[in-house]
Amino acid sequence: MFFKTPEIQYNGSIREITLGSVENSITVGGESAFPFHTFDAPMPHLPVIAMEVYDVKPEDWAEAAIEPFKDVINDPAKWAKKCIDEYKAEMICLQLSGTDPNGLDRSADEAAETVKKVADAVNVPLIIWGTANHEKDTAVLNRVCQVCKGKNLIVGPLEEGDYKNIAPTAIECGHSIIASSPIDINLAKQLNILLGNLGVPDDKILIDPTVSSIGYGIEYAYSVIERIRIAALTQNDKKLQFPIICNIAAETWKTKEAKTPTAENPALGDAKKRAILLEAMSAMTLATAGADILIMRHPEAIKLVREMIADLASNQL
Amino acid sequence: MILIGENINIMSKTIGAALRERLPDPVRELAKAESNAGMDYLDLNIGPARKDGDELMKWLVETVQEVTDMPLSLDTTNALATESGLKICEKRALINSVSLQPERLEKVLPMAKKYDAEIIGLLWGTDGMPRDANERCMLAVDIVYKANEIGIPNEDIWIDPIVTPVSVDINQVKACIEFMSMLGDIAPGCKSVVGLSNVSNGTPANLRPYLNRTYLAMLMKYSIYAAIVDAFDAELIRLARGEMPEILELVHKMMDGYNPDISTLSPKEKEYAKSVKVLKGNTLYSHSWLEI
Repeated sequence: MFFKTPEIQYNGSIREITLGSVENSITVGGESAFPFHTFDAPMPHLPVIAMEVYDVKPEDWAEAAIEPFKDVINDPAKWAKKCIDEYKAEMICLQLSGTDPNGLDRSADEAAETVKKVADAVNVPLIIWGTANHEKDTAVLNRVCQVCKGKNLIVGPLEEGDYKNIAPTAIECGHSIIASSPIDINLAKQLNILLGNLGVPDDKILIDPTVSSIGYGIEYAYSVIERIRIAALTQNDKKLQFPIICNIAAETWKTKEAKTPTAENPALGDAKKRAILLEAMSAMTLATAGADILIMRHPEAIKLVREMIADLASNQL
Repeated sequence: MILIGENINIMSKTIGAALRERLPDPVRELAKAESNAGMDYLDLNIGPARKDGDELMKWLVETVQEVTDMPLSLDTTNALATESGLKICEKRALINSVSLQPERLEKVLPMAKKYDAEIIGLLWGTDGMPRDANERCMLAVDIVYKANEIGIPNEDIWIDPIVTPVSVDINQVKACIEFMSMLGDIAPGCKSVVGLSNVSNGTPANLRPYLNRTYLAMLMKYSIYAAIVDAFDAELIRLARGEMPEILELVHKMMDGYNPDISTLSPKEKEYAKSVKVLKGNTLYSHSWLEI
């Protein structure tokens, strides 16, 4: 009896995309095999972590999420610096939750000013994440793109309903974009085709498949990411050969499992440990599905994920 | 091939209201138009019709029989409604459909016997949708056995392997074709039928015909007997009637592995070739599949 190792016929690879400014760039993608299948081919770039920073002080966060940042939580630029200097963030993701029309509804100009401050303070690639309100994001992200022309930002989410109104400015001003679709591989492909038709260059696109926490349907996100990679790598589907970005932190930290204090439900165990593990395990799940960039929040969750990634890739390091 | 017009359907935006309000004229017009378009059967789909379904089906059968003598396919999950239609059908009727749920088998199979109707055997089991071609085979054997048991012969059973949308699960689209290649061996003498348009459910309306036609061409490789179709897709009808042999040959060769250089094909061949690639699962579906 001979055991024959199954062989996967790869015939495509993920586009290698360089993000950020020339002096502070980072390259993602480039895989020519499934995630961490380093026995098939090395991963040229391991998944990287973008640490979250918020434009306004978060109001409803779990204590554990606030604690590492409480000295900088009112100042997005300092917050970003702390992530880089202390927690070695490879990228920063500035969440513009203050622009939410159902919240503070801060203006496009205010948002752009904040982005400019953070962009000037950081020396890593900077992601700008809107509120997924098409009208508001169109105003805000266009302004951000213009004010930060030449800063090589990564802006999103661009969805079917607003990509036409944001992508042209983003590309004209030298930024990359995040193509966001609602957990559906066919729609993900379609949006990438439409972006191409609009003239967005292939080396400016990241895919956001839309993700959710463990316990809230992460298996759907996993499956879509997995299928995107299968189509990209084994069917040479050019319209899916883009790096994948997962905005997972907010999804895990908004759950009741992350927010319930220990005293309120002792059976759930220590609140801090529980929330950190939820974030780390959710992020790691997505990394094993094929994520290239993980947007994360808690330094200890990030530490865990980095260790797991290093472990999985240890035979190529 | 037998073509069954799908257009009289309570879910339809254009005719649904006329059915609910019992307006005979629009229904008669549509029945006539489907007949003129070259259909062999008319499908009368009144949905689950939980309330007054028997009265609706009776009215509908009477109304369409005033203007056409085409045989009818009575499409409802309400067994009472099926029976009220069967009682007055002038031609031999087709019951759409009998699935493997015990209550359907118990109620509807004897009805087919009593009224000498043919049945569509829908491969929908007690566990729901079959997951692959093999599960379809098991269900087909099951329904044929149950129908034979009460005296319905194979030639009165039209097996429906269930067509699913290409944008939902390509493996099911492939499994349906694979099953069709096996049906002749596992249920000799049985007929076959598909609800064709479901393959393009979720696709923009103006693009649906391209997928419908190509999928029909693929099913024709395995001699599909009948299809429930959009009566007003003239090209689909020509294809079904064997008037597009070059296209059929191209599609069937591609199913056997031929991979043509798309750029050398005519515009019409391109439509079919690109659609075959999507329906075979070689290329992932997107709404722009014809453009790339």
